[in-house]
Amino acid sequence: MPRVTVAVRDSAGRTATAHVDYAVLAPVLGGYYLSGNADPTADLAGSNIRSLTQYRSLADGYVFPGWQKPWLVTLGRQGVRLNMVLELKHYGAPDAGPQTVTVDGATYPVPAPNMTIQQRPGTTWPRAYGYGQVLAGQCDGLLARALSQYRTLGFGVNLQLASELDTDHEFGTTEGGVGYTWAQADARAVSAMRYVVDWFRARHLPAGTTFSLGVGGWDRTAYRRLHPESLMSRLDFLQWNAYATDPAHTALARFRRTKDWVVADLGPVARSRPALIAEWGVRAAEIPDQAAWIATVPAAVAQLNAEGGPQIVRTNYFNSGWGTLTPTSTGLAALRAAYLRPPYA
Amino acid sequence: MATPTVTATLHKSRYVSGEPMLLTVVYGHPDGQPVTVTVVVTDAAGRSSAPVSVTTGFEPLTVTVTDDSGRVWSRLSDDGATAVHQAVA
Repeated sequence: MPRVTVAVRDSAGRTATAHVDYAVLAPVLGGYYLSGNADPTADLAGSNIRSLTQYRSLADGYVFPGWQKPWLVTLGRQGVRLNMVLELKHYGAPDAGPQTVTVDGATYPVPAPNMTIQQRPGTTWPRAYGYGQVLAGQCDGLLARALSQYRTLGFGVNLQLASELDTDHEFGTTEGGVGYTWAQADARAVSAMRYVVDWFRARHLPAGTTFSLGVGGWDRTAYRRLHPESLMSRLDFLQWNAYATDPAHTALARFRRTKDWVVADLGPVARSRPALIAEWGVRAAEIPDQAAWIATVPAAVAQLNAEGGPQIVRTNYFNSGWGTLTPTSTGLAALRAAYLRPPYA
Repeated sequence: MATPTVTATLHKSRYVSGEPMLLTVVYGHPDGQPVTVTVVVTDAAGRSSAPVSVTTGFEPLTVTVTDDSGRVWSRLSDDGATAVHQAVA
């Protein structure tokens, strides 16, 4: 902890001193995601981008580092902090049926995923392993396979469970033909996520392993339901995403919204956790000058952290979907410049 | 002979990187408490100037601020009894 010393000396050399200690919070880690889980090495080169989000389905046989992703190991060893989003969602790989998973000599039967999520009318509903399947231990083989691969990375990562549970549950879910409301799905997810965290924590994990729950953070009621203290006591971070999709949206307001709900609605354990922004972005359709908006983010994050409450410690720009940088070079230059300013540097 | 007195206070105990920091130093000397002299000039017609004040101590005191983190502090103000210094977290 730094210390200031003040000395007052008179003409005879007699001196009085006083000390006062203070703390300076570590810089916020500026982060990134490149569409399609693509290799971001070129975009990160020479920048202060020190955090990265990646998405993996537990159904995939190659969770860590991922299929043909040796660059992830390189970046991790260089000190880029990884936020690995592990999803029960099935990304549509051919093997959507039952699997037999063999891990370190042990064989696990894993049934076909029996849940549908993101049940927006008029769309095809993605499949996912059901919360009931998780709680029955039927997905242990997927967890064991992921853990076995994770242990080979050589460094610890944050394991974010799910991408956005509010987006997954907004229109209810169906498990094994049984429909659940949004609120019911949230409750089932909390139990399943508690199971998953406990499963991992009961086994040897690489040093530096942390956990968070994936939530978009756009619905206050759902956010409260998904963060009971019994789950937060098992997690290391709060997490939410922040997007600007309206010209009236300011960075301060967009990053603040979910934080305010945390402070108002959640318990002391949750409020004590730092916040990891797994995704943030500016939608060019409504805000064509993405660079100008990005330039306002450092001051917004600094102000929010100075106000107290949960500290935002990582912010990963989502260069995909709503956040696609257009043109890339201009947006990326703005992001690099932003991450060179306090509280990032 | 007495020694000087000093207290130092930061306006916060925890700062965000890049945040301004303010340090208030209250100091003095028992042998020479600071005095404030206020001067008002009045002409023959009875018109008076605005008062001008200056504070000084009989015992000249030197205030130095150091920071073991290497952070540089600069003086914003000093009236002879209270000094305010500033740095950036």
